Amino acid sequence: MLKQQKITLMEILEGSPKQALSRYAEWLISSVVLVNCTAVILDSVPEIHAVHKDFFHELEFWSVMFFTAEYLLRVWSLGAKHADNAWKGRREYIFSGFGLIDFIATMPYYLHVFFPLLDLRILRVLRLLRILKLSKYNSALQDLFSAVSSQRRAFGAAAFLLTIAIIVSASLMHIAEGHVQPAHFGTIPHSIYWAIVTITSGDGHVNAVTKGGEVVALFTGFLGVCMAAILTGIVASAFANQMSRKKSSYKAQLRQVLADGVVTQAEKDALKRLQQQFRLSDKEVQTMMEQAQAGKTP
Amino acid sequence: MNHLLEVSTYRRVKQRTFAILEGDVAEPASRFCEIFIASLVILNVLSIILESVPEIHDVAGTYFHIFDLFSVGVFSLEYILRIWSYSEKYTEAGDSPWRGRKEYIFSFYGLVDFLSTVPFYLQLLMPGTDLRVLRMFRLLRIFKLSRYNSALDDMFEAIKAEKDSFSSAMFLLFISCLLFSSLIYIIEGHAQPEIFPSIPAAMHWFILTIVSGWGNVDPVTFPGVVLVVITQILAIALSAVLTGVVSTAYTTQLARREALYEMEIREVLADGVVSEKEEITLKNMQAKYGMSDEQVESIAAQVRAEKNLSE
Repeated sequence: MLKQQKITLMEILEGSPKQALSRYAEWLISSVVLVNCTAVILDSVPEIHAVHKDFFHELEFWSVMFFTAEYLLRVWSLGAKHADNAWKGRREYIFSGFGLIDFIATMPYYLHVFFPLLDLRILRVLRLLRILKLSKYNSALQDLFSAVSSQRRAFGAAAFLLTIAIIVSASLMHIAEGHVQPAHFGTIPHSIYWAIVTITSGDGHVNAVTKGGEVVALFTGFLGVCMAAILTGIVASAFANQMSRKKSSYKAQLRQVLADGVVTQAEKDALKRLQQQFRLSDKEVQTMMEQAQAGKTP
Repeated sequence: MNHLLEVSTYRRVKQRTFAILEGDVAEPASRFCEIFIASLVILNVLSIILESVPEIHDVAGTYFHIFDLFSVGVFSLEYILRIWSYSEKYTEAGDSPWRGRKEYIFSFYGLVDFLSTVPFYLQLLMPGTDLRVLRMFRLLRIFKLSRYNSALDDMFEAIKAEKDSFSSAMFLLFISCLLFSSLIYIIEGHAQPEIFPSIPAAMHWFILTIVSGWGNVDPVTFPGVVLVVITQILAIALSAVLTGVVSTAYTTQLARREALYEMEIREVLADGVVSEKEEITLKNMQAKYGMSDEQVESIAAQVRAEKNLSE
């Protein structure tokens, strides 16, 4: 009896398509998170804090109760994930990225209760970490990370280039202007800060006074443009690769379905699921379908 | 009999008007109509910009007024002709003539045509309206140009096709904005309370860093320096992600279009004869997708070669 409820609750919280309620649970949790983050931000403005202090305090109390209940329910219901061992599923959740986020997002309030002398600003930031709870509901974000991480070798190479560019231009600037403007370029670490700012924003906000310094500054700014172009190229090709990978696996599936000439309901469902999983638009699917059919006819 | 003939002449005029206004390739006048309206729009926008300079307005105010009168006349005529002729869009037996008209009136271009013309008449009725507001509405005329250039449509379509990637990039931006601005608020808030008095003020710094690469604040603490440097690098990374999403969206859109065009050519070539009607369909499709002649030629050659091979 209780076991059935546990499974239902797990499906609702984990967003199973079987439970209509899971959609509402998602909305409810997301809106509480958004309201909370807005409140934390507004609470940091001294004028607003002076007027609405009590309201924010009340809101924080009830949100913490809400998130605590959510956390406990999750821990309890995830015991149903593996039929053989209740604590296996729970352990998996507690030490997963999302489990840790849920824990950290709730904790600050209790921390404050037990250690009232902690810096309020730090607690505030811990409360803002609640925003990360939203990433659970955004699977496109995970796609983005997987696209980017598939190009990590290229990113590593770009980071290496970036490091070299920073060190070289910082040392050159130190040599060229270190004796003229010791406040900015007196040591290489100081110049490194200038070089990073110049490479990322195009201008280091320190005017070079010698001819050599000017040349180095322009050169560094130009390196920045190159770095941005390299990074953009890597990301763009990562996305394009991911897209074509998805498409070719969808096409393979489509060809298989069309091979025997009959499209059964089960095959249709499988295609639909694959389309949703890969986030292909209806138009794209239609084009591929026509292509596959045209390829078959002759 | 005479009556019937008259009706069919009326229909023919309406059909031709529709073809001209819709930019049908088979109608040579449509090209002139397009160029005329487009140049009028450009002149209009130029005159609105020049008119806002007080010195020019003082000297040439009357000319601008006459030109505006003339343009409003042309645009009103265009709007009325469009409404009238768009009944030809759906000509099957059961369709009401108002189906195509309604579609036009409530489409993006229909609304642009309306909003960029009607305020002039409103001003005649209510002379007290603020001239600046009217000028803004007149500037809407520039959107009339996008009818003849698919760039705007392309952009929206590409964004729609990749809306998941866009929304996750936006989400990333949102999350990093919250986290980084609260971090700088903790780290530098004590040291520079006049610059980071609250999280919203710190968010201003973050957004400035993301869009321009530099938040205009020099950190004074060492953790602050580290955080600023990380934010700077994050700014390039985020813009790279956005650029990557956009460029992928465009590339896939282009590929999709070529595939659609290829389908059409295959169908046309299937029976071995290219009728005049089929040729017009292909030409219209090419114009709609903005494909160059070389592109089209290479697709056609490929399809032909495939066909010869299979025969």
